[in-house]
Amino acid sequence: MKTNYSSCGRVPRRTFLADVGMGFAGLTLGSMLWRDGVARADQPGSIWTPPTGQPLVKPKAKSVIWVFLSGGYSHLETFDPKPALVDYAGKTFDKTPFENPIASRKHKNRFRSVPADSVNVRDVYPIIYPSQVGWKPYGQCGIGITDWWPHLAQCADDIAWVRNMWTTDNDHWAENQIHTGRHRLDETQPSLGSWVQYGLGSLNDNLPSFVTVGVPKAHTTSEIDQGYYLGPQHAAVPLTVDPKNPLPFGTRLEGVSAAEQANEYELIGKLNRLAAVEYPDDERLRARIRAYELAFKMQAAVPEAMDFPAEPEHIRRLYGLDQDHTKVAGERLLCARRLVERGVRFVLAYPSGLSAWDSHQKLKSNHEKLCANVDLPVAGLLRDLKQRGLMEDVVVVFCTEFGRTPGLEQRAGGADGRDHHPHGFTIWFAGAGIQGGTIHGETDELGYHALGDGHYVTDIHATVLHLLGLDPRRLEIPGRKRLEIDHGAPITEILA
Amino acid sequence: MKALFWILALVASAHVSAGGVGGIDYSREIKPLLRDRCYACHGALKQKAGLRVDTGADVRRGSKDGLVILSNDFSASPLLLRVASTNLDHRMPPEGERLTPVQIGLLRAWIMQGAASPVDEKGEPEPGEHWAFRPPIRSPLPMIERRSAAISNPIDGFISAQYEKQGLTPQREAPKGVLLRRVYLDLIGLPPTREELLAFLADPAPDAYERVVERLLNSPRHGERWARHWMDIWRYADWYGRRTVPDVWNSAPQVWRWREWIVDSLNADKGYDRMLVEMLAADEVAPADDTVRVATSYLVRNWYALNPNQWMRDIVEHTGKAFLGLTFNCAHCHDHKYDPITQRDYFQFRAFFEPLQVRQDRVPGDADPGPFQKYEYSVLRKVNTNGMVSVFDENLDAKTFLYLRGDERSLPEGKPTVPPGMPLFLGGDSLTMQRLDLPVGAHYPGVKPFIRQAEKEKYEHGLAAAMDSLSSATRQLADARGKFAAAEATNSMAVRAMAFSDLLGAEIRWRNQSNQLAVARTELDALRARLVADEALYTVPLSSRREGLDSEKADVSGVKPRVNEAPSARSAADELAAAAGRAERMVSLRKAEAKMSAADGVLALLQAEQAAAAARRSAEGAGEKKEEKEKAEAALKKAQEQVSSAKTNSEIAHAALQTNTTAYTPLTPVYPAQSTGRRSALAGWLTRRDNPLAARVAVNHVWARHFHAPLVTSVFDFGRNGSPPTHPELLDWLAVEFMEHGWSMKHLHRLIVTSSVYRQNSVTAELRTPGSVDSKVENDLHASTARNKARDPANKFLWRMNPGQMEAEVLRDSLLHLADALDLPQGGYPLPNKDAETSHRRSLYFECFPEPGGQSEFATLFDPPGAIECYRRSKTIVPQQALALTNSRFSREQSRAIARRLNDAFPADARRGDSDFLAAAWEQILTRRPSGEELAACQDFLRHEMEPVVESSAGGGEPKKADIARARLHARTSLVQALFNHNGFVTIR
Repeated sequence: MKTNYSSCGRVPRRTFLADVGMGFAGLTLGSMLWRDGVARADQPGSIWTPPTGQPLVKPKAKSVIWVFLSGGYSHLETFDPKPALVDYAGKTFDKTPFENPIASRKHKNRFRSVPADSVNVRDVYPIIYPSQVGWKPYGQCGIGITDWWPHLAQCADDIAWVRNMWTTDNDHWAENQIHTGRHRLDETQPSLGSWVQYGLGSLNDNLPSFVTVGVPKAHTTSEIDQGYYLGPQHAAVPLTVDPKNPLPFGTRLEGVSAAEQANEYELIGKLNRLAAVEYPDDERLRARIRAYELAFKMQAAVPEAMDFPAEPEHIRRLYGLDQDHTKVAGERLLCARRLVERGVRFVLAYPSGLSAWDSHQKLKSNHEKLCANVDLPVAGLLRDLKQRGLMEDVVVVFCTEFGRTPGLEQRAGGADGRDHHPHGFTIWFAGAGIQGGTIHGETDELGYHALGDGHYVTDIHATVLHLLGLDPRRLEIPGRKRLEIDHGAPITEILA
Repeated sequence: MKALFWILALVASAHVSAGGVGGIDYSREIKPLLRDRCYACHGALKQKAGLRVDTGADVRRGSKDGLVILSNDFSASPLLLRVASTNLDHRMPPEGERLTPVQIGLLRAWIMQGAASPVDEKGEPEPGEHWAFRPPIRSPLPMIERRSAAISNPIDGFISAQYEKQGLTPQREAPKGVLLRRVYLDLIGLPPTREELLAFLADPAPDAYERVVERLLNSPRHGERWARHWMDIWRYADWYGRRTVPDVWNSAPQVWRWREWIVDSLNADKGYDRMLVEMLAADEVAPADDTVRVATSYLVRNWYALNPNQWMRDIVEHTGKAFLGLTFNCAHCHDHKYDPITQRDYFQFRAFFEPLQVRQDRVPGDADPGPFQKYEYSVLRKVNTNGMVSVFDENLDAKTFLYLRGDERSLPEGKPTVPPGMPLFLGGDSLTMQRLDLPVGAHYPGVKPFIRQAEKEKYEHGLAAAMDSLSSATRQLADARGKFAAAEATNSMAVRAMAFSDLLGAEIRWRNQSNQLAVARTELDALRARLVADEALYTVPLSSRREGLDSEKADVSGVKPRVNEAPSARSAADELAAAAGRAERMVSLRKAEAKMSAADGVLALLQAEQAAAAARRSAEGAGEKKEEKEKAEAALKKAQEQVSSAKTNSEIAHAALQTNTTAYTPLTPVYPAQSTGRRSALAGWLTRRDNPLAARVAVNHVWARHFHAPLVTSVFDFGRNGSPPTHPELLDWLAVEFMEHGWSMKHLHRLIVTSSVYRQNSVTAELRTPGSVDSKVENDLHASTARNKARDPANKFLWRMNPGQMEAEVLRDSLLHLADALDLPQGGYPLPNKDAETSHRRSLYFECFPEPGGQSEFATLFDPPGAIECYRRSKTIVPQQALALTNSRFSREQSRAIARRLNDAFPADARRGDSDFLAAAWEQILTRRPSGEELAACQDFLRHEMEPVVESSAGGGEPKKADIARARLHARTSLVQALFNHNGFVTIR
């Protein structure tokens, strides 16, 4: 879709691996062709070479399940409860003994509005809105979790909690931002999953290495699955939770039998190999022959991977497939597990709908319902990974685009919700390379600002890449300048 | 940390010296490091602290503060201390990562060993001497010793010169069929049909190919094909933002008219220079011509509702890249690291566009789009598909503020502003601009005859409709009167009450209609008065309206600003304007009166109904229920309130009649009568003969799309950090030739596709022809190909043609075209992508935007255009493409159509079997006949597919003819589909 040739760096002459599609699994096809001795780098003297598909250092994780809760869940009503909100409910920030968070320099420094100042700045709501749910400490680590997460709370010691996240956009483009690392007003960057695929390729030649499950289509999700200058071959493959038709164009047409199609693929392969005699140096032709072989296998492999109904009853129950309210999240997360089990590198799963958690009004009923939808399936995922020994290979990231304001949203007469809050929110990690039971970072007493340096969203990327054995700096490609903030830094405090 | 770092650095340097190399290779190990990390500030571009490090001698010379390397105490060399410093204020380089211990070790070792460098080392050339910053000159055609006689196309002269230099031998000319398919796909984006192939093969004329080229260049399909290329470069995008809401944040729903303009311009062979001028400034250079003004949608496409700075940033970045091949965007946050573009230059470039705003205009035959809806927080921007969009200079005195760190909130002290301008090294000093007077139609579109006519018709129709309604109300009233008279004759109280109520209703309706007629009459009167006033106001020559214009601010909200005309004109025009205003106030009065009368009627009717109900109750002896009573009272109260409020409004309208102003409502928004002239000056400067970049960049784009590889790889960066051209003289010759032929793109295409280099074969090895008569020729060819491959494996010097690959649109269009199913009408509002697999229109005409759904599901898999940035299209090979071509209904349907047609023409033949059908299918889809082996493979396939049907006959019963026919068509459809999946289909050889 986009070119590989850009502004601020030296550009190599085109090379097969840089310029040519690299198969379903992106690099996989490329590296397979390397193995086959097909690809060549015709660039003596050039420093840059495309990644080999091997981790750069010994990896702690092989794959990632990225669970994204769209709309911005309230950190205050989930994993960062604040007694002060109850104590000072109804008061304005300046009437508490604490530093007024709105007057803090952090308030201006960390946040950048997409609309020009002249057009609008979102209101700041200064009246403290009390927590809408009780909470208590769980596990050895004693993490405070609200009453809406009874199942996940039992996994408290398998999880590393990061309570000092911040981002820079206070509107839902932050959903793209947490995946690409860039603010709406900055140059677009490839999403994390694309970098992972670009850097590592797949563990299974018959499956894509970066997939999405249940991701809705909207402007705020327009970048989360895109490879941009890495090339369209690094975009995520969107999978549908339907074993009969999980992949775009992945199902035979009516009236075409399996045998017929096998014959057709055989004929295509035969004809292309005949053509290869005439074009012995045509790397693209060889790549296409391989692509067709892969496509044929994939057509069977993807439905098999997505065949969640084949799971035994106790597993289905573990994910809540037997209950209406947990079914959707459960199916998506169960598919995610099946996919990583089969070698997919990066599964981006939405357990709930687009902007579902965006509770400007009626926060209590909204969160109570959504937590109930997600709690059991996510806990089920962690338990399942654990019992299968997959916690050694898979890292789970659970996140949202921002938190919610400690203040009451008063827009349009609102009296029971919270607005978007980029200044502080909580996410968590679990699984391979993660020190379970870690509580890292904090927000201030009012749950407003992430204290200390906190973590910008690319620190999540750096952590994930680090666990996978990749160094984001060495994934750069020529001509595409990345900034320090794009690379972030691993959150070392939560690593095992 | 610091200590550890030094230990690493020392270890690294020890390692280097212990490596026994004896010496550091300056050119290989030191110079590239300095170039990457230090030249930007200490090279030809800048010499901060008076230091240059682009030669070893310069390093040794030191900065204005003294030496940077100390030979007696090398560890204390400032250069080493600075690169190793952990103090960020002190460390070099100040940006990016610090140098690695190994790199520092290398520097240290180099200094330790005496900081030697080659004696004849050259420093960086001065930035202004960079090849692309000097105007192109037409080099004399090179003398080619061996081949000069054979070379008729100058392109081949330059290419052959490189062959000689590099020791390369060109490939033979491509076989006719290959060439035909190549040039078809290249020029019109569709492959030749079998019939076209056969006709070409049968044409023995020496100019057969040239005639094909002319025909294709003159085909309307040519403009469509190349429009898509330029739309990639110019970032065409239909509106987006929040598609799912919908809420228009980016671009505009009407920008498709710009696409039409591109197609038409290319088909008409409008000069590229003129196209640039029109896209940047049609509102200044062709203000009266709406069909041209749509070209400024190039600028509208970048519009961003929420933040005008983002609009400016996108315009600067992409105008720089697309038209100049310069990365101005790199100077947004800091001075450019490679090119002599300062941050100030960046904002000077922006200043050309600072006064911009978007406007909407009416188009004949289309509904009135109304004024352009600006952004307001939390107000949705509707998808307005009416009329056209273009730009205008709204704020003629708009100031451009230089801001820091790429953040518009960071204004330096004193808030400095910058004027429009281009950098000196590009000859920006020759750029002058002055304000332009705009013709009245651009300033006030309301004077356009079609709008005046449309408005007149609107009000005339309104009047006629009001008359019709009144006469129908009159008939109904007569009818009601008759019925009432009949009811009066009865004894039934209830019947009489009902008839009275009906009569009253009819009377009220009649009165309302007659009031509406009065309104319509005054409306038409008012319009006539407005038209007359418009005429008087806007036909006065601008010169006599000069006074006071400069400070005039546009008010597009609808009220005509007062214009200071010459005294005599003013009084006459004022009189007419005042009359128009009065006529409008009369409309308001009539409307208010009509409302009052209607409210009276509602009240009267209500009273009558309530009286009738009371009469009914008393007749029946029933009492009124409490809630009914309350309800009736509330209704009555409401009706009375409406009467009194209508009365107040009517009084206000009446009082307004007494005012005497010259304000009246214009037919359309009124825009400034002048434009800054900034953009037309910029466009004129861009397209001057001595502009070093515009023509080169364009020629490179055209070349890249013919040869699937550009002459300058970094197609949007011709700056010092870009790639050098593979054929500099050729690039310049083409650029000059282009400019001197009126920037004609068709001339350029013709020149390129008729060259020998374009007509070459793309193979890297020729198959040996069995029993070839001249095996020496073949042996030579093999030897030379082997030599070519060894010397130039990447085909940088074009000793063969590069194979290409169809983009998403070409693939889809070709499938349809070969199935004879392509719908050819041009243009129109973008089609929804969800229809891409069922509609048969050309792919160009489908929506394209950078949000989910911005491409069809099919296209997404095959290198669709990237609407954010697409200076070169990716050409990927991914397995999903195979699935889409084998499993989509779309490809199956086209396959079936072809199979059916060829099946009818070439039924299975007892003697020849399927071979005629197969030959025809290959010719239709792959533009060639199959080889013997290929034919055999296909025949095997068909036989295999037919087996189940044939076998069913083995059981004794004769299979039905119809079954066999159906099975054959099915098998042949699969065969055709397999050919679409052949590498030779998507590949352009």
